[in-house]
This record gives sequence, structure tokens and C-alpha cells, in this order.
Amino acid sequence: MSILHQILGLLCLSPLLLTGCSSEDASPLALHKTALQLNWVPEPEFGGYYAASELGAFMAEGLAVEIRPGGAQSPVEQMVAAGQVEFGITSADSLLMARDRGADLVAIYAAYQTFPEGIMVHASRGLESMAEVFQGGTLGVIPGSPFLKLLERDYGLDKMKVVPHDNNIAPFLQDPKMAQQCFISSEPIVARHAGVDPQVFMLKDIGFNPYTGLIITRRQTLEQHPARVSALVRAVRQGWRAYLADPDPANRVMHALNPTMAAATFAEAAIIQKPLIQGQLDDATLGTMTLERWRTLAEQLEDLGLIERAEPEGAFVNP
Amino acid sequence: MHPSASVGLEPLRQPPGTVQGTGGVAVSLLGLGRDLARTRVLDDLDLHIPAGQFLALLGPSGCGKTTLLRLIAGLDGPDRGAINLDGDGRAKAYVFQDACLLPWRRVLDNVALPLELSGVPKAKRHAIARQLIATVGLGEAVDRFPDELSGGMKMRVSLARALITQPRLLLLDEPFAALDEFTRQYLDDHLQALFLEHGMTVVFVTHSIAEAVFLADRVIMLTPRTGGIVLDHWVDLPRPRDRGTRVSAAYLAHIQRLAEALTSGVVAA
Amino acid sequence: MIGSVLAAWLPPLLSFAGLTLALEIGLWLSDIPSYLMPRPSEVFIALHVHGADLTRGILRTTLAASAGLSASAILGVVAAIALSSNDWMRRAFYPYAVFFQTVPIIAIAPLLVIWFGYGLKTIIAVSFIVSVFPIVANTLSGLLSTDPALRDLFRLHQAGTLTTLVKLRIPAALPQFLTGLRIASGLAVIGAIVGEFVADDYKDGGGIGTVVMVSIKEFKIDKVFAAVLMASLLGLVFFALVNLIGRFTMRRWHIAETRE
Repeated sequence: MSILHQILGLLCLSPLLLTGCSSEDASPLALHKTALQLNWVPEPEFGGYYAASELGAFMAEGLAVEIRPGGAQSPVEQMVAAGQVEFGITSADSLLMARDRGADLVAIYAAYQTFPEGIMVHASRGLESMAEVFQGGTLGVIPGSPFLKLLERDYGLDKMKVVPHDNNIAPFLQDPKMAQQCFISSEPIVARHAGVDPQVFMLKDIGFNPYTGLIITRRQTLEQHPARVSALVRAVRQGWRAYLADPDPANRVMHALNPTMAAATFAEAAIIQKPLIQGQLDDATLGTMTLERWRTLAEQLEDLGLIERAEPEGAFVNP
Repeated sequence: MHPSASVGLEPLRQPPGTVQGTGGVAVSLLGLGRDLARTRVLDDLDLHIPAGQFLALLGPSGCGKTTLLRLIAGLDGPDRGAINLDGDGRAKAYVFQDACLLPWRRVLDNVALPLELSGVPKAKRHAIARQLIATVGLGEAVDRFPDELSGGMKMRVSLARALITQPRLLLLDEPFAALDEFTRQYLDDHLQALFLEHGMTVVFVTHSIAEAVFLADRVIMLTPRTGGIVLDHWVDLPRPRDRGTRVSAAYLAHIQRLAEALTSGVVAA
Repeated sequence: MIGSVLAAWLPPLLSFAGLTLALEIGLWLSDIPSYLMPRPSEVFIALHVHGADLTRGILRTTLAASAGLSASAILGVVAAIALSSNDWMRRAFYPYAVFFQTVPIIAIAPLLVIWFGYGLKTIIAVSFIVSVFPIVANTLSGLLSTDPALRDLFRLHQAGTLTTLVKLRIPAALPQFLTGLRIASGLAVIGAIVGEFVADDYKDGGGIGTVVMVSIKEFKIDKVFAAVLMASLLGLVFFALVNLIGRFTMRRWHIAETRE
């Protein structure tokens, strides 16, 4: 139903452009009401935002931020571009593709310094490198994922069956020769709890390392309300610092919103993702981005035929 | 089989005294009883129909004429009593109120259906069917579908189908009731001709007194009150009966007699 | 002859052209960007530019949907015949047929993947599950509503159960079967597409459903609309084919078909 929802969502979006959203700069007396659209359900990957909320960091910066959970394939870029929501979460490869089609969206904060996705296989196979994964078997990947084209180019997929990846690891559990796309702090934990020892080959290790957990907004918003954008980023940075130091308070809030994931899993995921979020940055520069990383990604996507003109400079700011 | 010449809408004439053909079976009903929906539709009914007799069953709705006909046909089983057919009980034919043709088959295959169900090979049954279709005057309609026929034509096809097995017992349930008067009279004439030609036993259900008198040797009236026979009336008009008969005094007298019986307390529903 | 063909085709073609023109002008005048809602002209261009992908995709889906619909037709009729044969059978097993209609396919599709694996087999299975019920229900209704007088006729001439089934009840149920087939045809296409979302082996591009998913992820919204258009056309073609079958088999004798 998600696909149909998305298509319907696209069709319904046009009338919304007529309404747009009108908001005024935060005055000292009134908090600016805004929203942050997540691209998945509340999980540790969004811990910093819930932590910021709990801390009162948003309020201190004059913002009343509603954190809106998303689901499978939430059309975050379209929602932000259409003005339906001021801020959203997405990943760098998606952003560059959206920009290539004409959406003038800008990234302002990168929660994940290291790309947390990889290919998960059964540890029992004793594979030693990513290349060995593609000797045979089934590969489960979300159709249209940019790195699929990269895998095809660099390793060749003729020996593989390539099938859709859903949020369901039952096929993986059933089939020892199955490899699937995974989020390092998510599926491998579930697999282990289900009795299958996973081995993950990170995509960053083969050179695919886009920023993800990006907060994006329209350029229009950036240009018209720069103070607001800076305020949001400061609050978010504070939230992530707090979450990295102690994830429990925010985890409790998120677990209440997403009870299907066990509290213990929240804790485990938070631990695993910590180095990917911290990266090489210190407290003051948490979430900032470099042009070099964006350039690399833009070139990769151009090479793979996914975008036509790269323009990485305009894709991000560090407010 | 003695196929007559192809006929149009002309009255049919048969020389008197030439009753040939297949002959009929005699039917005996003893103490016949049938209950439907907790009503005794028929009760303790005794009736003997001699071979080759044309019997009309007359009566108001609900008096059990169709039930009786179906019991004789073997389409229904009695609750009490017995039905005996003297002779080949399988040579029965039934004509329904609606022509009941298979809409996806042409006239030829509709008429040939009874022979098909008996396993007669195609060439043979088609040949026989063609002859019969000609007899009822529908030679040029052989390849048409029922949808393309008028009500009267459909009924003629139904009659042809009924005759194809050379039945010795012909049962008809108000077959011409849905047709206009002109077609009805034509088909009455036609039926009489067939009766005179083949000599089968005919049981004809109708609620038209005029039709009963015109066609039958004997008219029986049923009543819903007792579930039995209340009137057994001989129609001694000479055959063949024709247009002249329909305006004769004797004919009208029979009708009047029966009409009185119908309206008097004897058969009051 | 020409007149009747024109009379049948001209109104829908004109309305389609009119709506397309209105949409084109409306979107052109408004400021809605293409990545939210592409103009019809952009969609037609996408049809051309991505023709190879779209054609490959729609052919795959056509294969799966055809197989699914055929399976529904055959198994659906067999099931209907079995269910019509006696009351007990019907009361005992009809609920299972209803189950095919009501089960949320999105929920059980992953189960089907586990049982049948990835690939065409499972996609056909989804297409079948989604489309079989209308055929069972309609054919069953047709088989049960045979004219009692005709059944009497067959009984009178001592026709056996099988003969009556083959020469009377099945031909009599043909109009109802075709009604069911008409409904099932569109569902079979939808089912194939849903099946693709879950089980498509899409290394070479996959079916039209996968093309839609990939195009969404790659932000090629004009391609998305082009793919959706092709999927709708497939449904229409199926529907038209069923109508053609109906016209051909029942033209001479069934009033609903002669009116077309």
C-alpha cells in the first residue's frame, strides 16, 4: 500500500502548493511552530531530535518543533519541496537526485557521518569480502537504491537473483544463501535475536559513503529565515550530544511511540550507531559536512547515470 | 412417422377416421396424494386415462393441475397412492408453459435434443429433426437462434422437440397461455392435427374453457378444496374440429356447462 | 459499420483528449513543478524516452497477469462446479472462496514469498489469489440458477448428472462466468503488480510495478506516471479482450452481448 500511498500523495500534493505555509519569524514572545518529518518510525537513528525535545533545546531556541514519524518510503523530499513541512530527514543520494530534477532543497545537518547501510549475509557462509557475496544466491535490495547500480558495475550481479527488500527479515532467516541490504543498527540485531548470526559488509568500505540522517529544508526557507535555520541546527546539535552521552531518556520516549521494538534493542542500536554519528567530529562541529564528501558522491551518482548535472556546492550548508 | 406437407399458417385438415401412428399409453392413478407446503394439493385421486385419449385438466390456480401433470411425467413423486403407465413409460414428452429452448443452440439442435440425450448419432438425429421442423412449418428457421423467433414460433419448436421421440404420452402445461389469440388458435389446430395423426395419449392443462372444449375428448376439473376431481365431462364433438366447430351451438353449450360448473359452488376455490 | 465503430470510440477519445489538454494547460499555468506533478506532455515524452524499460516491464507484468487470470478462470470454474454439485459441499467450502477475496494481500504476500520463493511463480500466485473470487462467485451463481424447467426437461429425458452439467448448466452459466471474468481481469493486473512489489526478480528491470518503485526512488516522476499509465492500459486491454470473448461466444443468443 505504501507505493500507492506515495503515488496518491504525489497527486494530492499539488493543491497544497496553493496553500503553502505561512509562518513568521520567532519573536521573543512567541515560539515559531514548525515540524520535522522523519523518514521512518521513531528509532535510535532519530535519537538526537527526541533528546533535543526532552531537553527543551528547541524551546530555548524559540522553536516549537513537532517531530512527525514517517514510514516505509515517506516522500520526504516532495513534502518539504511542496511546503507541506519545513524540515525533513533524508539521505544525501536522495537529495542529489531530487535536486537534479529541479527541487531546490538544501541539507543543513548530517546526523550520520558514516553511511550505516551494508549488505548482511549469514556469518555461517564464512565470506571474507563484499566481492564474495555476489558469487551466487539472492540479494534483497530496495528497488531503485542507488548503490545497487554501483554493485552491478563493480561486482556484476549476473550470478545473483535480485529481489525487493521489505521490512521483513523472514526470507533472510529462511535462506542461508540470502544477502540483504541492512541498516547496521537495525536488521543485524533482529537477526541475531532470531538465532541467525549475521555478518555485515559496510557499503562505506567499498567507497559508497553518502551522508544520511540529513535534515533538509527549502532554499527559500534558508534565505528568508536564516536565523531560524541556525537555531534549529544548534538545538539539534545539543540534542545529539545529549543522546550520545546518555540515550536512555530519549529511548524511553521513542519506545513509547514505537512499542514494537524492544527497549533492549533500542539500547543496543544506540551503542552500535554511536561511532557512525560521532565520526571524527567534536561537540562543536557535530553534524557538519564537507564539500569533498558531497563532491565524491555527486561524481559517483553522475557516473552511475543517476543524475545529469552535479552541483554539490549548492546542496548543503553548515549554518 | 408420417410427415405431412410443409404448412404455413393455414388450417390443417385431416381426413376423418385416419388415426394412425404411434398410438398412446393408458394411465391409471390410484389414490394419488401429494402434499406441498403443508397443503394437501392432491388427495385420494383416482383417474383412468385410456390409451389415445385427449384429456384436458381444467381448474383455477392452485388446484393442482400442474402438480398432477408433473406426477404423471415422473418429475415429481407422490406421497400416497400410485401411478401406473400401461406400455412404454419412457416414451413421454412434456411441453412447458414457456417454450424452454436452450438459447445457445439453434433450432435444429434444440429440436434434436431428446434424441441427443438418448445417444442417437448426429447425422441421424439432425435428419429426423429437419423433417419435424418442416412439419411444424419452420423449415426456413432451422438455423436460427431462439432469440430470433417469435413466441409462437418458439412454441412450435417446443412442440417439434416434444414429438421427436415419437411419444405415446404427451403432457402439456398451459403451453399456449402466453400467446395471442390468433396464434393460439392456430396452434390448437396444429396440436389437434398431430393428435389425430399419431394417436398418442394427451394430457393438456389449461385454464381456458374454450380451449379445453375445442381440443379435448374429456375435461376434468380439479379443486383446491378437496384435492380431487370434481367434474368429469365428456366432450362429444366430432373430429376434426375446425372454425366451424368454434361457432357451433354444441360447442357453446359445452362451454356454458363447464362455466356454470366453475362458477357454481362445485368448484369454488 | 464504420459509423458504429466511430460511435463507440469517439466519445471516450474526445473526453480523454479534452481532459489531457485541460491538465496540460492547467499545470503549465500553475507553478507546480514536474517533480511533484508532471504535465501530460512530459509523461508522453517519458513514454518515448523510457520506452525500452517500460515495454520490458509491461510485458513481464502482462505475462504474470495473463497466467494469473488463466489460473483463476480454470480453477475458479472447477471450484464453482464442485461447489454447485451439492449443498453440503457449498456450505462447507464456500467460506474458503470468500477468504480469497477478503484476505489482505499485502499481509500474506510476504508469506507467499517464503512458501514459493521469489520470482514469477509467486507473482502469478498473488495475481491468482486476488482475481479468483469473482469468477467463483459469479460462475457459481450461474450454475445454481439454471432454469428449473430446463432441468426438468433434461431429467425427463433421463440425462445423467454429467450430461446435464456439460450440456445444460455450464452453457447456461456462461454469461455469469464472463461477468466474473470481466471483474477478475482488472484484479489480475493489480495482483501481478502487488506481487512484483514483494517478489519480483528485477535484475533485468522487472515488471511494471518494479519500474514504478524504482522510478519513485530515482525521482523520475514523469516515468512514474508513464509506468502507471501503461499499467492502466494493460488493465483496459484485458477488459476489452474479455468483452471480445463475450461478444464472440454469446453474440447470437444473449441479449446483453447483442446490445453492445
